[in-house]
Amino acid sequence: MALGRFLLKRGIQGVLVVWGVVTAVFLLRFITPGDPVTFVAPLDASAELRAQIAAELGLDQPLYVQYADYIVGLLQGDMGYSYLRGTEASTIVLARVPATVELAVAATVVAVVIAIPLGVISATRRRDPADYGATLFSLVGISTPNFWLGIMLILVLSVQLDIFPTSRRPIGFFETFAFLVTVENGFAAPMNVGAFLDGLRTWLWHIALPAVTLGTYFTALVTRLTRSGMIEELGQPYVRAARAKGLPESLIQYKHALQNTLIPIVTVLGLQLGTLIGGAVITEAVFAWPGLGTLVIDSINVRDWPLIQGSLIVIGTGFVLINIFVDALYAYLNPRVVH
Amino acid sequence: MISPRTLRNLRSELSRSLLAKLGIAILAVILFTAVFAPLLAPHDPTEQDLDNANVPPLGFTATENQTSSQMVDGEVQIVEEEVVVNTTTAHPLGTDSLGRDVLSRTMFGARTSLLVGLFGTSIAVVLGVTVGITAGYYGGRIDDALMRFADVMLAFPSLVLAIALIGLWGQASLRIPDPLVAFGIASAEMPENIVLPGTVIAVVALVNWVWFARVARGEALSVRDQEYVKAARSMGGSDLHVILRHVLPNSLTPILVLATIQIAAIILLESSLSFLGFSGAQLSWGFDIAQGRQYLSSSWWIATVPGLAIVGAVVGINLIGDWLRDALDPDIEGQGGAP
Repeated sequence: MALGRFLLKRGIQGVLVVWGVVTAVFLLRFITPGDPVTFVAPLDASAELRAQIAAELGLDQPLYVQYADYIVGLLQGDMGYSYLRGTEASTIVLARVPATVELAVAATVVAVVIAIPLGVISATRRRDPADYGATLFSLVGISTPNFWLGIMLILVLSVQLDIFPTSRRPIGFFETFAFLVTVENGFAAPMNVGAFLDGLRTWLWHIALPAVTLGTYFTALVTRLTRSGMIEELGQPYVRAARAKGLPESLIQYKHALQNTLIPIVTVLGLQLGTLIGGAVITEAVFAWPGLGTLVIDSINVRDWPLIQGSLIVIGTGFVLINIFVDALYAYLNPRVVH
Repeated sequence: MISPRTLRNLRSELSRSLLAKLGIAILAVILFTAVFAPLLAPHDPTEQDLDNANVPPLGFTATENQTSSQMVDGEVQIVEEEVVVNTTTAHPLGTDSLGRDVLSRTMFGARTSLLVGLFGTSIAVVLGVTVGITAGYYGGRIDDALMRFADVMLAFPSLVLAIALIGLWGQASLRIPDPLVAFGIASAEMPENIVLPGTVIAVVALVNWVWFARVARGEALSVRDQEYVKAARSMGGSDLHVILRHVLPNSLTPILVLATIQIAAIILLESSLSFLGFSGAQLSWGFDIAQGRQYLSSSWWIATVPGLAIVGAVVGINLIGDWLRDALDPDIEGQGGAP
């Protein structure tokens, strides 16, 4: 099957890119000034103690041995131990993944749900107040730094109007489902629907502002792309033919024209994935959201190398995976690329 | 290099587009402010005045809780009272928590943003165009190697990469004497140096050159086999001559459009890095937003004003980018992006 072969090829390329990322992240430590031992050892550590710490961390081995050890460890899911917390780096890093994924997905949902109808309306009612409004929104939206937008949302909606909480993530999306499936003494306890709904509400209230903060840039971008794409498609001969055939206008707009517009939108979104992940990092910092972004920043500040490397590798791998997903989506929407 | 036809396109697009005129006007104001900041700013942006801290902008009021010890019925008591902080015409946009003038800081902050954008983009252009044209012109293994390297670079969100590099390499600042102060045109009380975050300039160039490399490579590839290039080569033109005389001029239009968009993206990246405290800049819009964030509930203007300045600058540059793109119609996809 053509799509299968296409995905296999992209998968192999993806593995190579991940290997490149792992190598770059590994080498980062060696082109960074400062000896990791300094950050772990007590200030008055003797030379023997320092040598002993270096040996324990495997830092006395030649570079290629450390590299081989690191790759073998990674393949077994071992990222080493956090210098400061002493626990396994992989556990710490993976525990942060759901928060970041939730944020990125919520932002994408916000963007798609708002932007596509807005772009279609804007394209079909050109020079209408709605069109000018949408154009202005998308211009300002792609020009606003999202950390500042987040702070302004906190200022107005949390501090002044007291509608949303200012920060944190007290409960994860999937954690709320634990209220539905609880086991007590080996028996399934009755479902606690009230607690489940409460948890879901708490989750929604806390993710609302971060999701809007991260999603605004993409909402603006997709609105812009949808508008220009739709304007182009609606001028095509097949649209005229469909109209002549007497098809309802809504069917023409939302089915035929929009479907062809989605192809360039998916392309640009694929190219903008780095922006989504970078934006997630800074959004997490604004809202004290416990994801990979805050982990990277915190561990860089204390030079906790296993955590720095682990989180960078997970971010890079996630990025490659979403890219493959976007390519597959693209191939599905536009079967010509597969052949 | 710039043909009469190009100029004609630029002019006719400008006369048609209101938004393009608006963009030029906005950028002109910001550029003027940045260049003549020492003459225009009412105060030294670094001068502290603790007696006049947290003064609100003209037309707004603010209250502050003050504690003092007072004699009440012959006993000393600690009294907390709400004091109204008065606005003053000396500080039209108010002051921050250390009594520094927000208007002056915002004016001087424009210099940091624009210079980092300009220097960062220039380095990225030189680096990217050199690599891209070399890869595209020679093709073969050099091309493969360089483009695979570019893929790995792009496999990383630029903000995350920038945070990692700056956080680990440290902050170096670049001091340029301010000519207006050095030649006695502006008051000697103004800061005598323009301090720029040097590491940030290097790092933003390092994470953004890939976009230019891709565009330049594409152009070089398409020009390489044209008749006139073959003719130039057969007449004994050296590779360097052919590249400088024929390949490079053809790449200029798309590079110019991309560079405009990248300046905006780099301004956003710089402000994000300053906001997170990674840039080391002490006089920058992002840094001021981070400062103001701590006083959000009492002094909203400290974080609001510099944010509006960022949005203004980026909107202006993006409008100019749209104008150039519509007038010159280069073939570029994906445009880097905001963090």
